[in-house]
Amino acid sequence: MISIVDYGLGNIRAFENIYRRLGIPAMPVKSAEQLSEASKIILPGVGAFDWAMQRLHESGMIDPLNDLVQRQKVPVLGVCVGMQIMAKSSEEGRLPGLGWIDATVKKFDESLLNQYAQVPHMGWNEVDVSNTCPLFSGIENPLYYFLHSYFFEPTLKTDVIGYSNYNIKFASAMACDNVYATQFHPEKSHQWGIQLLKNFAELC
Amino acid sequence: MTVCTNCVMDTSDGGISFDNKGYCDHCRTFYAKIAPHWTSGQEATVKLNQMAEKIRGRSQNKDFDCIIGMSGGIDSSYLVYAAKEIMGLRPLVFHVDAGWNSQIAVNNIERIVDGLNLDLFTEVIDWEEMKDLQRAFFRSGVSNIDTPQDHAFFATMYKFAAKHKIPYILTGANLSTECIRNPIEWMYYQSDSRQIKDIHRQFGERALKSFPVTSILWHKVWLPYFRGIKVLRPLDAMPYIKENAKQLLVDRFDWQPYPQKHFESRFTKFYESFWLPERFGYDVRKVQYSSLILTGQMSRSSALEALKRPTFDKENIEQEIEFVANKLDMTTDELLSYVKLPKKTYKDYKNQEKIYKFGARVMKMLGLEIGGKR
Amino acid sequence: MGYSATQKFRGTVLMLRPRIIPCLLIQNNGLVKTIKFGEPKYVGDPINAVRIFNEKFVDELIVLDIDATRKSYEPNYKLIANLANECRMPLSYGGGITTPDQIDHIISLGVEKVAVSAAAVSNLSLISNAASHVGSQSIVAIIDVKKIGLLRRYEVVTHNGSQRTGLDPVEFAIRLQDMGAGEIVINSVDLDGTMLGYDLDLISKIRKHIQIPMTVLGGACRLDDISSLWKSQGLIGAAAGSLFVFKGKYRAVLINYPNFTEKALVLKQAGWTL
Repeated sequence: MISIVDYGLGNIRAFENIYRRLGIPAMPVKSAEQLSEASKIILPGVGAFDWAMQRLHESGMIDPLNDLVQRQKVPVLGVCVGMQIMAKSSEEGRLPGLGWIDATVKKFDESLLNQYAQVPHMGWNEVDVSNTCPLFSGIENPLYYFLHSYFFEPTLKTDVIGYSNYNIKFASAMACDNVYATQFHPEKSHQWGIQLLKNFAELC
Repeated sequence: MTVCTNCVMDTSDGGISFDNKGYCDHCRTFYAKIAPHWTSGQEATVKLNQMAEKIRGRSQNKDFDCIIGMSGGIDSSYLVYAAKEIMGLRPLVFHVDAGWNSQIAVNNIERIVDGLNLDLFTEVIDWEEMKDLQRAFFRSGVSNIDTPQDHAFFATMYKFAAKHKIPYILTGANLSTECIRNPIEWMYYQSDSRQIKDIHRQFGERALKSFPVTSILWHKVWLPYFRGIKVLRPLDAMPYIKENAKQLLVDRFDWQPYPQKHFESRFTKFYESFWLPERFGYDVRKVQYSSLILTGQMSRSSALEALKRPTFDKENIEQEIEFVANKLDMTTDELLSYVKLPKKTYKDYKNQEKIYKFGARVMKMLGLEIGGKR
Repeated sequence: MGYSATQKFRGTVLMLRPRIIPCLLIQNNGLVKTIKFGEPKYVGDPINAVRIFNEKFVDELIVLDIDATRKSYEPNYKLIANLANECRMPLSYGGGITTPDQIDHIISLGVEKVAVSAAAVSNLSLISNAASHVGSQSIVAIIDVKKIGLLRRYEVVTHNGSQRTGLDPVEFAIRLQDMGAGEIVINSVDLDGTMLGYDLDLISKIRKHIQIPMTVLGGACRLDDISSLWKSQGLIGAAAGSLFVFKGKYRAVLINYPNFTEKALVLKQAGWTL
């Protein structure tokens, strides 16, 4: 069962609907008890870093998530701020992140701002994918929807499976062990997103 | 289940009868009464040209000389093409949006209108009223729950033609793919306004203020004989082979085919592929394929083979049901509960069937109409 | 691939596409289309419109409830949830929003961005308060602009165009940006529904001072208008109502949107190379 973490942020229904149309069992989970069935986890997110960490903390699911992801190695896919909170910290906030990936989150450099590169990064952009990663299997020349002002900066570049270009080249998709993450919104990216979510569900 | 030896209609049509060769009455009616009067070849071309001249001659409007109701389906799409390019007419394409348009339908209308450089007029039915009427039909237990859409379509078109004094309405109705009609028990006359009003009175929840209502006497007698507004069927006066027509539209306009007839409306798709077969055991494909068999466009063996496939796609049907339920403000359970209601027929509600029967007899006696529902 | 202008971008190539965004107006749960913010014409069921746009692979959708603010309604959460549930692309919702709690709630229903208009005029701090929870990227500020008086000066208006504010759109846009808005939508009241083309004059006046994403709405008649907009303004969102809802001289209701080929052509005509 794919568990979609519902901590009050992120488009839970969009993930649910996509998996329902694909005929793949997926359910929103709001509590630690409900998480115990998870064979895979989706950690969505729309919002600011501290707000996301706070809401996740209030949901009581941080400890079971840490156990499932770090100890039991259950595959997890973090999306947008769901990806960012997997880092250790963010320039956007003061609270520490989950630390599942050795990374920080930085703001797009405003000194580079001009009318052609505004912040937030908003709209459809290309992702230069590493074809060896099963998450992008069968996906060619995708466009994905981005909506963020901060970007993910991992310490180890070897775990980056997708780069995007926006003023600078930044990591838009990660895969380290069982932890996957995308800065963009696959749940709102038409056929490219649907294929990625299907690939995630089919990961062994 | 006894199946006709010539077409694929069978005893799921409660009124069917067979002769000693095993031919059903639909086939016998076709061979005896329809085919002999259905012109083809040179005679048909002459008839078509006369029709075109008549339409052009009576036109008083600078911009168009007739209206064509277009759903985005194959028949109306091809008709629009034929009206412009074969008959040399200037049609106004008329579309009624009842809230159920599929993306393919909308796209096809756009492609044809743009490709032929025609004008489009759309009438949008108030969705809240359409929804209420459709919900009422579900509760009534009758088979023909697609009547609200059909009725709105025709009523709107007739009213538009009457208002703007357009003497000719062209429809895509045709013998080539519809020489066998759905039995009346399966699909009762959608134009029977007395039935609609009675069902709405008993099961509706809000007043029908803007919903267009027509009546059989108004559009079959008053409009043609007193106002001079006639409905014509040009596809009967030209060679209309479904597959060829489809290919032409695809090649010329990038038209997108539908998996089955009438699937341009999401509701009609649900109605014909799920509701009628699941609740009543009526498979409208039998009617459609039988028409194609009689007109030489499909073999009986391939029809029988095609009928072995389920009427709906098992993988998608849950989503389709959910879509229809959500759109009609019902839960899926509520919608499915209507499938199990005691079965009712049009006879259980007020209707004008007597007028239809009388009218049909008069028309046939006067030779004014061939074919028709049984 | 992408728009490349190495001088401007210091050697990096920009791959972000500018967005084409249908804008749907809601009144009494039904879709309507207006002209200069008046004469609403019924256009049909919003859910079916969203469905059709889904299948046309639309970039993004804006849905605005045009009565909520003027008549002081609470946003219709049930309708918003249904729209969000149906919509497979990013969705912005606006209409009747006055508090950060409403914004939190609407985001939790599955909407990507929330648009504020009148509330931002009376209470700019709404934007910074809401942004601290949902993030700037999810706050859109819509500025309705009208030409007022004999001198035809641009002024910000609210409440569906019925109330004047005395605010200059350029100055107001700068303040909204400073308060943390993530996107600014400029909505021309005078051009709404007229299909006379975008007000490129107004857009460039404001654009010079803004470093956050901008989108314009009002007046688009054909895809060429979008090419012209992008040619003159570069990366900017092109929103339209009438263009994607009507067809032809009789303004026949027919949902439409450029397909991939048509979009590529619009980009090409604007100077983008793909």
